Amino acid sequence: MKAQPLVLKIMNVASGLLLAGSLAMVFLYAPLEAVMNHVQKIFYFHISNAWVGMLGFIVAAFAGIMFLVKKDLKWDIVEVAAVEISLVFFLIAIVTGSIWARPSWGTWWTWDARLTTAAILEMVYLAYMLLRQGIEDPDRRARFGAVYTLIGGISVPITFVSIRLWQTIHPAIIGTESASAQGGFAMAPAMLQTMFFCLFAFSVIFATLLWHRVRLGRLAQQVELQKLEAMQ
Amino acid sequence: MINPVVSLKYMLAGYIAIFSILGIYLASLVVRWKNLQRDLQMLKDLQEKK
Amino acid sequence: MKPRRNSGYFKAILAIAWKDLAAELRSRELLSAMLVFALLVILIFNFALELDPGTRRIATPGILWTTFAFAGTLGLNRSMAIEKDRGCLDGLLLAPVDRSAIYFGKLLSNLVFMLIVETIVLPVYSVLYNLNLFVPGLIGIILLGSFGYVAVGTLLSSMAVQTRTRDVLLPILLFPVVIPVLVAAVKASAGFLEGIAFAEILPWLNILLVYDVVFTAIAFMVYEFVVEE
Repeated sequence: MKAQPLVLKIMNVASGLLLAGSLAMVFLYAPLEAVMNHVQKIFYFHISNAWVGMLGFIVAAFAGIMFLVKKDLKWDIVEVAAVEISLVFFLIAIVTGSIWARPSWGTWWTWDARLTTAAILEMVYLAYMLLRQGIEDPDRRARFGAVYTLIGGISVPITFVSIRLWQTIHPAIIGTESASAQGGFAMAPAMLQTMFFCLFAFSVIFATLLWHRVRLGRLAQQVELQKLEAMQ
Repeated sequence: MINPVVSLKYMLAGYIAIFSILGIYLASLVVRWKNLQRDLQMLKDLQEKK
Repeated sequence: MKPRRNSGYFKAILAIAWKDLAAELRSRELLSAMLVFALLVILIFNFALELDPGTRRIATPGILWTTFAFAGTLGLNRSMAIEKDRGCLDGLLLAPVDRSAIYFGKLLSNLVFMLIVETIVLPVYSVLYNLNLFVPGLIGIILLGSFGYVAVGTLLSSMAVQTRTRDVLLPILLFPVVIPVLVAAVKASAGFLEGIAFAEILPWLNILLVYDVVFTAIAFMVYEFVVEE
């Protein structure tokens, strides 16, 4: 397998620096929130991780469509990579969301639309992995994966809308419909700047990780081909 | 106003969670890469022996 | 001159659906399995949730749709498995008809099976719990919800049946993506049963309609990728 291209090496360094920079901004630059105190600082990384999850979700759905159109297995490799990364980052988002919720509202889980939809998306991804595991033929595996990514890609946004609608009738946290219950709070300018910096940093991290995971996928494809050759 | 000590503990828990999960994922990428490289080498050697 | 292709397409759909329905009329193995299963689920719910009459009224839509979802999965699985095991699928694929006709034919027969089961479950439930379920709105919701469920279910079961894990995989694939149908159907059913203003039920109805249309269209477009050899 070819060595890492220079651009990727630069991205590795950039990702590391941006991550460090984000931490610096969160802990040294952003002010302490009046009501929630320190735990609010999770917020920046919670949102950024969810953002990466979203990016992965979109890339996966796009790659799925591209595969069905072009029939090129390259797109399948991108699709798997995007699904995996989205899975991991939404997991982090869900866990941090839960940790943030506990001291803020006294409950580990709020059945709010975003958290619940993220959890459902994780189930879709796991189903996707199980689907692929049950198929030997690489072409069929890619086709089915692409179809399911498409189905998931359309159904999850509709799920979000329906849960959101359901929620307006059953407020998640009894008695509190204020902005803070939805996770809102007044953001000072320094907080906004920190938030945007983190979002940017994690976007770069996403691109870097995606590239690495695609390389892994290509290597796996090489090994599979080599196995087939060895069996002849 | 949330008790500062409690708030701090949860914040730490949050960041530990973030970096643990991230770390485990990155480690898995490295391990899988090494395994595949090894498999590839082994298969190539097998092919040469034929 | 009337294009022959169009009439051939619809004939194919009806032929495929009729094949399943006729076979089922003779053997009745699928329907009896689905029906017994549905009634058992209602029974289990009866003991799992000890509900007083008031709470039971509120819980009814949820219990009904859970029952339909589980029985529906059974039907979808068996319907596709029969197809594969008897080699009918290969035969159908050889026929000079658009792949999507197979999808619509299976969709139709799966829908009919599900509706038959629901038609029997509703009166049984009504009698068991002394509730009037014969509200026109509810019937409509059951139609729309079942259609959406079966539209996606037929596509996914066509995939699942070709994997190693088969039966086990269908619910895992189906349930996460069919949640909008379940949420909307339950809320709309509850709305009609409680006699809530139509304007409040409308959003749920919209979600069901959008889902049904969108996913039927998607399945129609991608079905060929799922059954090609």
